[in-house]
Amino acid sequence: MTAFNLNEDQQDCLQELINVAMGQASDQLARYLDTFVHLRVPSIEQVSTTSLSNSLNKEQQSVAVVSQGFLGYEGIRGEALLVYQHKDSDCIGNILGYEPDELSVEEQLIDLSSILTTTFLNVFALQIDNQMSYNAPRLLSSGQDALAVYLQQLSFNCDMALKVKITYQVTDYSFNCDMILLIPESAITNIKAVIDRILADY
Amino acid sequence: METFHSTINNQLNTGVLILDLDLNIVFWNRFLEVHANQRASEVVGRSVFEVFKELPRRWFERKVTGVVQLNTPSFCSWEQRHHLFELPHTRPITTDSHFMAQNCTFLPLAPDGVIQHICILVEDATDVCHYQSMLQKTLADLEQANRIDGLTQVYNRKHWEECLSKEFDRARRYQHDLSLIMFDLDHFKKLNDIHGHLCGDMVLIEVAKTIRPLLRSCDFFGRYGGEEFAIILPETNITGAADVAERIRQAIRLNVMEYQGVEISASVSVGVGEFEPRTRRYEDLIGNADAALYEAKSGGRNRTCLFKDSVVCL
Amino acid sequence: MTSSVLICDDSNMARKQVVRSLPSHWPVEVQTAKNGIEALEVLRNQAVDVLFLDLTMPELDGLGVLQKIKEEGITCSVFVISADVQPAMQAKVLELGATAFLRKPVEGEVLMDELQVHGFL
Repeated sequence: MTAFNLNEDQQDCLQELINVAMGQASDQLARYLDTFVHLRVPSIEQVSTTSLSNSLNKEQQSVAVVSQGFLGYEGIRGEALLVYQHKDSDCIGNILGYEPDELSVEEQLIDLSSILTTTFLNVFALQIDNQMSYNAPRLLSSGQDALAVYLQQLSFNCDMALKVKITYQVTDYSFNCDMILLIPESAITNIKAVIDRILADY
Repeated sequence: METFHSTINNQLNTGVLILDLDLNIVFWNRFLEVHANQRASEVVGRSVFEVFKELPRRWFERKVTGVVQLNTPSFCSWEQRHHLFELPHTRPITTDSHFMAQNCTFLPLAPDGVIQHICILVEDATDVCHYQSMLQKTLADLEQANRIDGLTQVYNRKHWEECLSKEFDRARRYQHDLSLIMFDLDHFKKLNDIHGHLCGDMVLIEVAKTIRPLLRSCDFFGRYGGEEFAIILPETNITGAADVAERIRQAIRLNVMEYQGVEISASVSVGVGEFEPRTRRYEDLIGNADAALYEAKSGGRNRTCLFKDSVVCL
Repeated sequence: MTSSVLICDDSNMARKQVVRSLPSHWPVEVQTAKNGIEALEVLRNQAVDVLFLDLTMPELDGLGVLQKIKEEGITCSVFVISADVQPAMQAKVLELGATAFLRKPVEGEVLMDELQVHGFL
């Protein structure tokens, strides 16, 4: 829990890296989807995995969660969780440009999540002279119990999480989703080292 | 290094397929040669759609467009799409699908910064798929076992009460009819004492079997206690329920069973209750049917009583 | 002649990034602002030649600042530096009177080119 306590400069630096990554990811997404993505400043919040489990359960309105692991150099690794409200999942196929009978809602969610995660993290990595590889994304069963059990399991492996709240509003459709980056303690120390190196440059 | 690469490529238990941006095949490794039964020399230069006619073309093209345009990997799991390529698998007997379950990864290849090729990795997920479906089946069986009374194969009390609770809520909300039948085998203790517990078990099984065909598929038939059974009748008023109760009582009376060469006959006492707007809890409904059952017992057994304001015996 | 420059961004690091990217041979006097309100206060009280302006900020955002500059007839060249690089956004800021659009993180060479194009060097 203490490992992540960033000072003001470090927090500012991380926020700026994330803003830039988000901006470019949205641009790529907008071109790919052939629409305009309205961008909000992503809020960054450090949460303990136990409180995460609580906060997600509170917003439960039947949630769908997609998980995807990422791995970079210098010991930077973690897991991205994309959390959707179920009411949004119907329109996602339209957004992606598939015909309704070409793929299931589950596949659409996974596809969209993978695009959001990888475009964002690719730009993020580029800024810190890094490069990411990714695991296949998985849909965690949309049942509430399954999610709670999964998060509980996570809290054993991972003490801190970085919750980056993204609101994507696409011109013709709107959907909200949260991207939550779960980063194990050892990787947090590595990220801090990278941030300090960047700050030392100024 | 070059020979290392090609040796490893050919020993890999993963399909490696490389396409140019027009989706023509540029390379495939031994895994694909063996599984698709075509040498690389036969397929290189041909369109992937010509070699794999089963590919969903529009989907595939959209997928590749994303990979190229966003310069990101993309994935396709057997859990959502059992397979992309129709390849045979090495477990033909133990699995139920003709084709290999696959995890596919689409990777952009841009050695000098410009994407010119797409690599598709094809992993055999047949085993995982097989174990996962066995696990699903086992879980479903377990859940079923959790709801069923092992001896009589009707619902156990716990599940039956859950059903009653739901039906009760529904009846209250929409002001629908709902009735409850509770019945008890007469002189069951004596039967056990004379013929033994195995005979008692046989009678319980027979009774359940005899009654089942008298019920609709929407009724809930459960074992409430030792020799006591209960039936939930949705959308049924007390007059309808009384008819069913009488049919049950007569069917048991007329059914002569045999145990170790001895003829055994049984009878039941039946209590019937009905949901009324003033009934607040489903337990009250059980209480009413139970009170009627008590009357049927004390009034001489082998009879049906109804709870309607007070108990009426048929 | 020394130019008067105002850098407006809510991020300390981003402000430093701009300062660092300014051509070394360009004589400037630099001031900074943390949001749109602060920037307008400076603009109303003294002559500023070049404003480097972020878009997404608390209090008053970049689009709001551009709007006010137009309304109040403030003369000042605005170089927008933003992470929101979608073409539609670029078009919007130019329409609101910005001189140029630069993507974050800003690079020295790109900045120098733009300054040259618009006659500041």
